Amino acid sequence: MSDSTATTEAPAEPPAPDTEGDEAKPNFIRLFGRYLTEANSVMVTIYSLVLAFLIGAILLIVSDEYTRSTFSYFFARPQDAWYASRDLVAESYTALFEGAILNFNTLASYQAGDAEFGNLLRPISETLTYATPLIFTGLAVGLAFRAGLFNIGAQGQLIFGMMGALIVGFTLDLPIWLHLPLAIIAGGLAGGLLGAVPGVLKAATGAHEVISSIMLNNIAALFLVWALGTAFLHSETQSDLVSKPVEESAVLPTLLSSLNPSLRVNLALIIGFAAAVFTWWLLSKSTFGFRIRAVGFNEHAAATAGMRIGSTYTTTMAAAGAFAGLGGAALALGVANGGITTNTALDYGFSGITVALLGRANPGGIVASALLFGALKAGALSAQPDVPVDISTLLQATIVLFIAAPALVKAILHLRTPRGGLVTLEAKGW
Amino acid sequence: MAVDTAPAPALVDDRAPARHVKAGAAYAVLGLLLVLAAVAWLGGRTTTIAFDRTLTDASWEAPTFGVVLGLGVLCAAAGAWMLVGLPQRRFKPASAVAVTAFALALLFWAYSQEGTVFRAESILAGALFLSMPYIFGALSGVVCERSGVINIGIEAQFLMGAFTGVLTANITGNIYAGMAAAMVAGSLSTMLLALLATKYQVNQVVVGVILNLLALGFTSFMYDQLKKADGFNDAFSVPVISWGPLADIPVLGPVLFQQKLFVYVGLLLVFVIWFLLYRTRWGLRTRAVGEHPAAADSMGVNVNRLRYWNVTAAGLIAGFGGAWFTLGNSLAFNKNMTAGLGFVALAVMIVGRWNPLGVLAGALIFGFTTQIARDLSAAGSGVPGEFLQMLPYAVTLVVVAGLIGKAKAPAADGVPYNPGDK
Repeated sequence: MSDSTATTEAPAEPPAPDTEGDEAKPNFIRLFGRYLTEANSVMVTIYSLVLAFLIGAILLIVSDEYTRSTFSYFFARPQDAWYASRDLVAESYTALFEGAILNFNTLASYQAGDAEFGNLLRPISETLTYATPLIFTGLAVGLAFRAGLFNIGAQGQLIFGMMGALIVGFTLDLPIWLHLPLAIIAGGLAGGLLGAVPGVLKAATGAHEVISSIMLNNIAALFLVWALGTAFLHSETQSDLVSKPVEESAVLPTLLSSLNPSLRVNLALIIGFAAAVFTWWLLSKSTFGFRIRAVGFNEHAAATAGMRIGSTYTTTMAAAGAFAGLGGAALALGVANGGITTNTALDYGFSGITVALLGRANPGGIVASALLFGALKAGALSAQPDVPVDISTLLQATIVLFIAAPALVKAILHLRTPRGGLVTLEAKGW
Repeated sequence: MAVDTAPAPALVDDRAPARHVKAGAAYAVLGLLLVLAAVAWLGGRTTTIAFDRTLTDASWEAPTFGVVLGLGVLCAAAGAWMLVGLPQRRFKPASAVAVTAFALALLFWAYSQEGTVFRAESILAGALFLSMPYIFGALSGVVCERSGVINIGIEAQFLMGAFTGVLTANITGNIYAGMAAAMVAGSLSTMLLALLATKYQVNQVVVGVILNLLALGFTSFMYDQLKKADGFNDAFSVPVISWGPLADIPVLGPVLFQQKLFVYVGLLLVFVIWFLLYRTRWGLRTRAVGEHPAAADSMGVNVNRLRYWNVTAAGLIAGFGGAWFTLGNSLAFNKNMTAGLGFVALAVMIVGRWNPLGVLAGALIFGFTTQIARDLSAAGSGVPGEFLQMLPYAVTLVVVAGLIGKAKAPAADGVPYNPGDK
């Protein structure tokens, strides 16, 4: 109500120019305040982050033995519990920040002249390195989302992509301008093939993609364990479960190692950005993207309009799998070019789900949330074992729980409903 | 069934012979392949079957060649009968015979290798025990989905139950307190799903997947935090309940009367939930809410309240199933120890067609597959262990692909109900 009065007042103002500034100012503040207390998608995202970090802080306090012990005499000396909790949370989150963005110790020694500029960039480089596969898996989940498909299988597709790129990477001996693209494409193809399976199954039999893709994840993970043990893939120099290294000509060049050899971020990041731009073009400018969105909005209407639903499912899932496969190639030819292990894939595929949900299945949003979760991952990995490494998974899942349930955020914080309603993501049932 | 088809005898005559070309050809080919395999590879081999727990010195050696050949011929014959044409009412029994013969033949074949013994009692008892997570998970799914809420988060309830169960057992020193805490933890997890699905009308598939990630992150995080101190994650074992003389009956004794509490609770729950769903007022209302919430609403059922409490209660079952992973197996908690079995349980629910008795049958098949895979990889068969471990997942994939079009989910499954929308 007051919103409509605000807009009708504005054109009535001009006759009195000297009061305009005075009138516009409270208006702006009021509008801004309105914006802050409204459950629109920007504010829901911000509040989700805040709430998730609050919950993370509570869990840190509850699960830390020393801090818990200070609560046992809370009523005798509450300040102990307060200081211990505050310090614990501050130290943990600072450790995450230092591992992800900027290390204050390095900054101090840089200012004192003891460290190079490259050292200062190391946390950022790690963040970008961990964000790179997340961009790809986020796109893999996000693209499928636009067709109404929930692709949980990015993990398996990433593993297959890793193996595809690896095999081309060490079997062939070609110049780099040919070898590297071939290896990357092989990764995309391998991921795309595995990704197409749930699409085909859904199109042909109606099998739900959530179940079939999670089964393929398990199968792919076990297949990798088996494949790494075979003479074809297994390293010739190491006895533990490591693959052969890829040829020098298939290694993704690093971007910043001239500044400092420890800066690992490589060309895959640029390819990831390009993939996001391509996805944006695909979804908003191409016929295929139009079909994807039409099927995602209403498959019956799309079928009535003459679109083939089954083949859209298959091609969308194949394209999604190809993105995750490219993420696998980025790993096998990038950070893990000395040989992949069962641990190389981490949980990039599953994190891709959270990336896509936080990015609301938009390419730009996916890149932004991949950077955020890459930062979380880099921070958590550098802060362990002081901070449990799974704090990144926990925070991610908590954030996207709120993102997926804007009504919950709205209820907790007593926000207003925005004019267009709450924005949510949908996936179909059986 | 017979009463249902009787009014239309002219349309469907279940005595008239009919051909089933696809199924018949498939069974005939499979049977012939078995015959060929027997002739080519299995001459002179034997399969040893032992009753290893009750009659320790008795074992039975079967000639693999003859058995596989016979079963192959049986399978092929069933296929041939379908090709020629058989009465409609004989089709299902004939299919069952063909499938069973084929599976049995594979079993005899697998256990014909040197050094492998089919320890019938251990394997069957183990299979029943291993089917328990599927039973608990799928029953929880049945209660949720019969009320119209899709629960993809069974994995989450498993993890929460497994973690909380062992943690509480460690703190209190009592395994039964651990089991109770596991149930509560599972229930808290589904309560969140119930709240989001009913009050906030959030997409249930999305929330379920997020719940899985949340439970994985939470339990892994707590595992790392509590690992720093001793005495939070030690393994506890649940006693085996032996029913005195009944436990000495060959085969039946070790399988049914010498198991842990989880098995008895699981089997009991199957029948209790079946009874509740199909023979009580609560069951009728639950099914109505899952099929046609608007109709149930107009008859005075509070749809969202019933859904909320059903889903919350279903979490108790899945949480107890979670305790099976740690307390039931005498294991400490480990990160992601449920390894996707919550999703396999969903497949079992689909195989069981959202019916507790069907769930029991499906869970037994999956438990048996898992047990055989474990036993064969321990015995060192020619197949790599990783492929045997893939078996339950591959079976799930095939089953979901093969059945879901035919198995009908409750009509309002996964559709939020808003009383204002009618």
